[in-house]
Amino acid sequence: MTAPTDVTPRRARLAPDWLLRTEVGLCPCGCLGKPRRRNLVARTLRGLSELVRRAMFSDDVAGAPGLLPRLDARVKVVTLLGLVVVAAFLRSIPMLGAMYVAAVAVAWMSRLPLRSFLARVWLFVPVFTGFVVLPATLNVVTPGTIVVPLGTWLGGSVGFTAEGLESAGLIVMRVALSTSLVVLLTLTTPWARLLAALRSLRVPTTVILVVAMAYRYVFHLLTAVDDMYTARRARTVGRDLDFRSGRRFVAASAGALFGKAHALSEEVYLAMVARGFTGEVRLLERNRVATRDVIWCVMCTLAAAAVLWGDRVVG
Amino acid sequence: MTVSSADAASAPLFECVDVSYSYYGRFLALDRVSVRVDAGEKLALLGANGCGKSTLLKLLDGLVFADAGRYHAFGTEISEDHLEDEQFSRAFRSRVGFIFQSSDAQVFSPTVRDEVAFGPLNMGLDPQAVAERVEDTLAMLGIAALADRAPYQLSGGEKKRVAIASVLSMNPEVLLFDEPTAALDPRTQHWMVELIVELHDVGKTIVLATHDLDVLPLVADRCVVLGEDHRVALDGPTASVLADVDLLHATNLVHAHAHLHAGAVAPHVHPHDSGHH
Repeated sequence: MTAPTDVTPRRARLAPDWLLRTEVGLCPCGCLGKPRRRNLVARTLRGLSELVRRAMFSDDVAGAPGLLPRLDARVKVVTLLGLVVVAAFLRSIPMLGAMYVAAVAVAWMSRLPLRSFLARVWLFVPVFTGFVVLPATLNVVTPGTIVVPLGTWLGGSVGFTAEGLESAGLIVMRVALSTSLVVLLTLTTPWARLLAALRSLRVPTTVILVVAMAYRYVFHLLTAVDDMYTARRARTVGRDLDFRSGRRFVAASAGALFGKAHALSEEVYLAMVARGFTGEVRLLERNRVATRDVIWCVMCTLAAAAVLWGDRVVG
Repeated sequence: MTVSSADAASAPLFECVDVSYSYYGRFLALDRVSVRVDAGEKLALLGANGCGKSTLLKLLDGLVFADAGRYHAFGTEISEDHLEDEQFSRAFRSRVGFIFQSSDAQVFSPTVRDEVAFGPLNMGLDPQAVAERVEDTLAMLGIAALADRAPYQLSGGEKKRVAIASVLSMNPEVLLFDEPTAALDPRTQHWMVELIVELHDVGKTIVLATHDLDVLPLVADRCVVLGEDHRVALDGPTASVLADVDLLHATNLVHAHAHLHAGAVAPHVHPHDSGHH
């Protein structure tokens, strides 16, 4: 076939010279360069995106035939959140430890991947609690018997005190246990059922609506972040983002992301309204309290009573 | 306001009279648009990008409300106040289904089965009846194997099918499609056109927004052409709209250019979506 005579030359005339030349982003020496490990920003974005996506959409685990996935969502909400309240009243580390071991055992019986379950808790606890309580372990904040001396400061000795370590351990154990119980609940209950359970427990519709919408948007938001970063990488020639330019990219993207998220959130909401959504969460399967739910409730009550009694005896 | 039962038979399903709408009170989307949709019609809203087709569909579905003008559906005025009433809202939503252009926005539940059940459950149907509907709809659209998959794991064509299934499971009288063939591969486009024709054959009223002129004679009997000034440029049978090349050119639905035809350079027009031959 002959080349089009009328169209192509006109386009060629419009195109600047540089657009008609091929440019290969080669190294000055002519080599193709070495593949580099992704930088911090890239790894953080990808890692976060993947982690949250897995956490939010881990309905595969929630549907597995283990102990907790088979229980009624309302029963799980009441019992596990009840145990969180019990944990808040405990003052002895051995009792908190015993409850924590029991929580891990329940996770195992629920066929949750133990490594991931432990990682979710113990990656979170040091960041949000450990660093906060760290100063309280020093004798300058909590006076007491120094068990680990660190040196001298302003003429006095500084170190970790037994009392400080004990109170820090108490807080860390309490947070670890509470987090484990909440993770147990969210990992073994599909989000739709969890929301329906909260609704049936008379949590206001507005709260349910906000949580439900947030859940739906997070996924779209993550996709948008992924797409933006991929688009950026596709146009990055030469060195990838260093920390400084990476930080600038993240800051600049945040604004664009809010705009995108807002437009998309509007569409998602309209799509829900168009199919009759009024804030009420309705499920295909009805929740029914079975014998195993009653047994679980009794066991949780007995366990709570036992640790509270044990705490009083030990304390 | 409600029309009397004597007039109901001849009354249009939807009627917009001089409706105007602008986003944020600044960006005009519809300017004094009047449209009538009768029961059992296949109507296409034609127009270039940004002329207000999608906004008009949203207005017909009671998702946005006109700044000026009147809109009646099924003989009743549609306003924000009326749709606040749960009973009225449920009745209206179950009669009108909207397939959005972006399947990503429409498909938001944890699994495909939950997605297809979302509408019927909100209509207040019994879960057992909903479960049966879901299975039937998935089988009808050939996506039964996807029932337990998460929507984010699906391809664009599969998401489109799920989006359609999620609306069909409500069995609405009127189906509003926003750019139904956009961004679909040729086989899925063909499937979509056949589905629209079949749905019309079983009595559904079809209103679709498109600028795909290739499939227009199949999916629409009548067209309302929206101009880039956001007004109705023409309302008439599909054949006469497609024959009006000057209008299609003026409304940016076709473009003129020249290329080889049988060895000779021949200037002519093309629909925007059409591939050059």
